Amino acid sequence: MASVWVKSIANLPVLSVFLLLVLCLPPGGGQKKKENLLSEKVDQMMEWSSRRSVVRMNGDKFRRFVKAPPRNYSVIVMFTALQPQRQCSVCRQANEEYQVLANSWRYSSAFSNKLFFTVVDYDEGADVFQQLNMNSAPTFMHFPAKGKPKRADTFDLQRIGFASEQLAKWIADRTDVQIRVFRPPNYSGTIALALLVSLVGGLLYLRRNNLEFIYNKTGWAMAALCVVFAMTSGQMWNHIRGPPYAHKNPQNGQVSYIHGSSQAQFVAESHIILLLNAAITMGMVLLNEAATSKGDVGKRRIICLVGLGLVVFFFSFLLSIFRSKYHGYPYSFLIK
Amino acid sequence: MKQPGWQSLLSFSILFLACLAGFSSRLFAVIRFESIIHEFDPWFNYRSTHHLTTNGFYEFLNWFDERAWYPLGRIVGGTVYPGLMVTAGLIHYVLNLLHITVHIRDVCVFLAPVFSGLTAISTFLLTRELWNQGAGLLAACFIAIVPGYISRSVAGSFDNEGIAIFALQFTYYLWVKSVKTGSVFWTIGCCLSYFYMVSAWGGYVFIINLIPLHVFVLLLMQRYSRRVYIAYSTFYIVGLVLSMQIPFVGFQPIRTSEHMAAAGVFALLQAYAFLQYLKDRLTRQEFQTLFFLGVSLAAGMVFLTVIYLTYTGLYVRLLTCYAKIHIPIIASVSEHQPTTWVSFFFDLHILVCTFPAGLWFCIKNINDERVFVALYAISAVYFAGVMVRLMLTLTPVVCMLSAVAFSSVFEHYMGDDTKREKPPEKAEEGLGPNIKSIVTMLMLMLLMMFAVHCTWVTSNAYSSPSVVLASYNHDGTRNILDDFREAYYWLRQNTDEHARVMSWWDYGYQIAGMANRTTLVDNNTWNNSHIALVGKAMSSNESAAYQIMRSLDVDYVLIIFGGVIGYSGDDINKFLWMVRIAEGEHPKDIRESDYFTPQGEFRVDKAGSPTLLNCLMYKMSYYRFGEMQVRRGALTPPGFDRTRNAEIGNKDIKFKHLEEAFTSEHWLVRIYKVKKLDNREPLDHKLRSVVPKQKYTSKKVPLMLGGEFALQVWRDSFRFS
Repeated sequence: MASVWVKSIANLPVLSVFLLLVLCLPPGGGQKKKENLLSEKVDQMMEWSSRRSVVRMNGDKFRRFVKAPPRNYSVIVMFTALQPQRQCSVCRQANEEYQVLANSWRYSSAFSNKLFFTVVDYDEGADVFQQLNMNSAPTFMHFPAKGKPKRADTFDLQRIGFASEQLAKWIADRTDVQIRVFRPPNYSGTIALALLVSLVGGLLYLRRNNLEFIYNKTGWAMAALCVVFAMTSGQMWNHIRGPPYAHKNPQNGQVSYIHGSSQAQFVAESHIILLLNAAITMGMVLLNEAATSKGDVGKRRIICLVGLGLVVFFFSFLLSIFRSKYHGYPYSFLIK
Repeated sequence: MKQPGWQSLLSFSILFLACLAGFSSRLFAVIRFESIIHEFDPWFNYRSTHHLTTNGFYEFLNWFDERAWYPLGRIVGGTVYPGLMVTAGLIHYVLNLLHITVHIRDVCVFLAPVFSGLTAISTFLLTRELWNQGAGLLAACFIAIVPGYISRSVAGSFDNEGIAIFALQFTYYLWVKSVKTGSVFWTIGCCLSYFYMVSAWGGYVFIINLIPLHVFVLLLMQRYSRRVYIAYSTFYIVGLVLSMQIPFVGFQPIRTSEHMAAAGVFALLQAYAFLQYLKDRLTRQEFQTLFFLGVSLAAGMVFLTVIYLTYTGLYVRLLTCYAKIHIPIIASVSEHQPTTWVSFFFDLHILVCTFPAGLWFCIKNINDERVFVALYAISAVYFAGVMVRLMLTLTPVVCMLSAVAFSSVFEHYMGDDTKREKPPEKAEEGLGPNIKSIVTMLMLMLLMMFAVHCTWVTSNAYSSPSVVLASYNHDGTRNILDDFREAYYWLRQNTDEHARVMSWWDYGYQIAGMANRTTLVDNNTWNNSHIALVGKAMSSNESAAYQIMRSLDVDYVLIIFGGVIGYSGDDINKFLWMVRIAEGEHPKDIRESDYFTPQGEFRVDKAGSPTLLNCLMYKMSYYRFGEMQVRRGALTPPGFDRTRNAEIGNKDIKFKHLEEAFTSEHWLVRIYKVKKLDNREPLDHKLRSVVPKQKYTSKKVPLMLGGEFALQVWRDSFRFS
């Protein structure tokens, strides 16, 4: 580690000159030089962060401004991989949260030169990653004004997540700087709603001569059933918990669509259940149609049998899925 | 059926049997164990009912309970929905008046099953209004045994929901009736029923939003009529005034956002009726001018506010459903989770797949009251998807719509063509008796499976009192674990009457109800900082915890420990929630990450974090456990925790400020006594032995050390000399 450090410094002409100067100069002058250097660094950082709230760093800058000793400011570094070819979607989400936090700090009244937000991208500073023995992105680290980062200076991403509020709490914990997260209001929902309303309004206006379709009961019934099916198959659970689509066993590559426990579900599973529920409902409706419609008896008989088949077969299928998830459930019908 | 007498006799007996089946399928717990109040909240309800019957109604309304939330206390009369207690108290009073002497506990235990019978009847009435008699009977049978409702109404679960579902269904029945007839009589009935609902459960908000929504949609569908106008105007005014009579509700109906939709629709309806009136009086030209001037402004605004308020009101209501309390507490309650499809199927079985068909039929043959049931279904299914506990409001409508679906199938397939009054005009009309009987048979079979499923679920999942546990041996014999009551009774008998017991909030109501001792926090989680303080005491080390316990005047600490019998709902498994809640209020002192291993695991064995291994909860749970061989003969080391399958990491536990007071038979409940302060603080360090070099010592020297200690040293030095 130490050897790497020395080598990398030797690569930097500026720093090596500076090192030489420090070595040559008498101690008193060194102190002064150090102060000069410090104020220079702070000025530089302030200039960068006034331009962009998150300062982009490459390997050289990182070593000079974040690692090298004379500092009186804390630096929060996000190590990430934002290039599209890295395909790191988590990094992008984390980056958004990080930008929100940095902007809150940049435009808050408490903004000072005690804390800076920086980012190191893997494709710009791979050497930094190697140097810090880091092999996962995104990672948030705090480099305190004095001393080396401790264990708690690495943000526990796995456990807490990367919401800006959590990051702000962690920063307040590490640096005593309180940041009130200010999120720019999210207009996308409102815009989407306005678009939808205008679309529907436009459609109604265009078809104003023929508004019969509003009174079409089948359309409304379909819409109501869609809501019902979505809810009873647990789409709201998916929305809130965000489970994976399906699970692929890493050992043998088998894909399972049904979650083994009754406490959880996959997205694919909820879609299967939605279809099963819809099929059973359709069966019931067909049974009714067969009995009430007027037409060819043979045709009606077929409709009736299809409806019955849908109800019975898909219900027993549903029951068997339920049985496989709810261990110890004793009953089944047709299908084990 | 030609004679109506036969028909009503048949209906009556079916309804009676449904009530009977509903009542008896809720008695599993009573038969297996005994007539006992279940779980947690019912204990509070029982305690307040007991207070009501012994002290009278006014005393109950003014009751300030100094035994809860020590040292704050709780105003009970103003913070409960009194409907449940008043109902039970009234039944008890009437029975005693008739010289049928029953204990109030038995009234409380059997209240929910009795009300489930009433729910079946009101569901029958409502479905009959919506569809027909046959569907009504089927719906009554469904609601009597469906697990989604049984889960909240088994014998012994003496809770608001048990009577509220009856009030809900009955209010809806009377509402549908009043919209159909437009008579003030039915509407006043609806208001009274609504009043009962408001007095019984916070879920009345569902009614006060659904009925305005119904009226609003009727207006949109141009189904406005005088009947709707009379029904809603009467309902809104009388219902509003009545609902404000409940102390806990107070002025909320005119202040909070979730009631605003009702007010907005009321204004809208008046405006609409006024316009209708003008339409008859004015010429077409005048009317149009007026219309575009006034209405385009006013109505547009009202519309938007109504939609906005309905939306936000319901949404906010859902998010902050459990009072306005801190998020870790909401998240720590498992009822407040979204619903998976498994829970839908588990609670409703075949009804969940067939009720969309009923909804389809209702929308296809729409009329005023079917608009209502469609809105009911859609809103209830949405709420049930968001939160597991709202499955309860979905269950009745699912039963009604499934009954519609099944009854329309049976209607067409069960009847015999040849015996009809009007023989079919053409021979090709019938589907043939074979197909018909096959369909009927299979449908009956599905319904039979439903009944079997309901019984199985009720027996296995919803009939455990959770105060008394049972375990089964391999040969089927049963062991009763009565540790909870043993420990609470010990508290009741062996401690001072005013002793203060600290425990996690889950057990607050039970301690108050069974042990009759003062608690610090309980299941009415209204004060988060108080709970956080208890959490902090549990998760600090012993001396820091002692400071907190001294400041809260704690005499006893009660914890639940399941390591001996493998009970998973114990305090160590809940411990992380205590830490989280404590961290929310005291972030400087308690950190969740300190309780994890560096790998981020929560472990109680040797690899566990030292903070965890020395915190008060850990020490109290595992005190003397290191010496214990849990399973005799098996190859487990002493101190093996069966719940977490680990050998505990800290076997040498010594207490300084606490002492073990009681441990129940299976170690499920452990009670510790907090020692009083010693007369004099013992010294942590050795006394300094001052061996005088000279015979003569200056008196000034020891006095400079200051205080009692100095004097002691001084005296010692004299002794040495």
